[in-house]
Amino acid sequence: MQTLDCLGKRCPQPIIELAKALKVAPIGFQITLLSDDPATEPDLSAWSRMTGNSIKVVELNKYEITKLAD
Amino acid sequence: MALPHIFEVTWPDPTKLGVDSKSAGLLLNEAKETFASHLGTRSDEITFLGEPNLGFHLGINGLLDDASNFKRLVYSNVDRMEVFAIAQANQQLKTIELSAEPNGRVDYSLCLESDVVAYQLCNRETGIVQATPPTKGSAIFVDATASGTRLKLPDNWSTALWDSTTWAGPSGLGIFAVSKRANWKSPLPHLDGRINPGPTSLPLIVASALAIDSWVADQKNLAAKIAAINQDIRQYISTNIPDADLAPLGEPHLLSASFLYVSAEQLVTKLADAGYAVDSGSACSAANMQPSHVLAALGLLTQGNIRLTIHHSTTFEDIKGFLDTLKVTVEELRGK
Repeated sequence: MQTLDCLGKRCPQPIIELAKALKVAPIGFQITLLSDDPATEPDLSAWSRMTGNSIKVVELNKYEITKLAD
Repeated sequence: MALPHIFEVTWPDPTKLGVDSKSAGLLLNEAKETFASHLGTRSDEITFLGEPNLGFHLGINGLLDDASNFKRLVYSNVDRMEVFAIAQANQQLKTIELSAEPNGRVDYSLCLESDVVAYQLCNRETGIVQATPPTKGSAIFVDATASGTRLKLPDNWSTALWDSTTWAGPSGLGIFAVSKRANWKSPLPHLDGRINPGPTSLPLIVASALAIDSWVADQKNLAAKIAAINQDIRQYISTNIPDADLAPLGEPHLLSASFLYVSAEQLVTKLADAGYAVDSGSACSAANMQPSHVLAALGLLTQGNIRLTIHHSTTFEDIKGFLDTLKVTVEELRGK
């Protein structure tokens, strides 16, 4: 699985880079996001609700994202 | 009374003897009467604070300071940070943090008769109103710092706190009330019955009393306009700006909106450059670099957040200009 390393990057950069990585990918595409920004966890959950994509918290600062919508 | 005149007549210490002090004392008592009538308390229940947020400490710890009775402190995850600090500071204290529903409401029905409850009338960030006050609880501290005179105290209040800025009064003045029914003990070292070591600025108190009188009179005529402006802003954002997350509607003078893929720091700066002063709950705009705990608790987006306060003087034309600027700025920041 592809990994997007956003460690050290501040909000909203991790979510912007995630959206860019998903833009050209097919439905069902999975990617791991590494981010230690304090806003990433609440914002990924809101982003998932707003965009229809799925997120899973793997461990602290590590998230698994599945593209479910364009 | 004009401001320079207020300063002229309020310099003497109202607690001293002498003609000037007596007339200053009269002004202080008149101010207490004014606040009591608008806030729904007795005038002898009112104390003024030069540091409004000190009232959280006085209001909550004063109710807990009862060694004979083991109590729990019940509060919610959308309360002000000052409440969290109090819960954290007392290691022996048993604390219960209630979680707000996604609509912002907190269920206080599980409170016990012996609980001390911190109850927020209206959330400062979203304007969300708690419609059902706790019915049980030995004592209730009411945080009215965002609602001002808009919402009534629950009948069973014990201590309450207001902030003068909510009625467009001067900043740096809190109105603190201890109910005559409350079993309240000052948590500060004290020799006499004073609630606040003081002295609190009499000019600020008098200026704020004048402000609350005129604010309440204006509010009767302007409440409908403010509600309509809030509705217009929500409607515009929902229709014209994609990927926006609006907090649920509460008291209409407050509104919180977040925009996906936008830096709040840049957004707030650009809006300020265009002449619009807005606040933000995003991490990048906060002193501690943490996202708003209120937005996170409600599952709302914390990035690209702006918090708006609609004032009595805000016009539909102001808002039209603001919304056009907001749309263009969000598009511009997303395009980068």
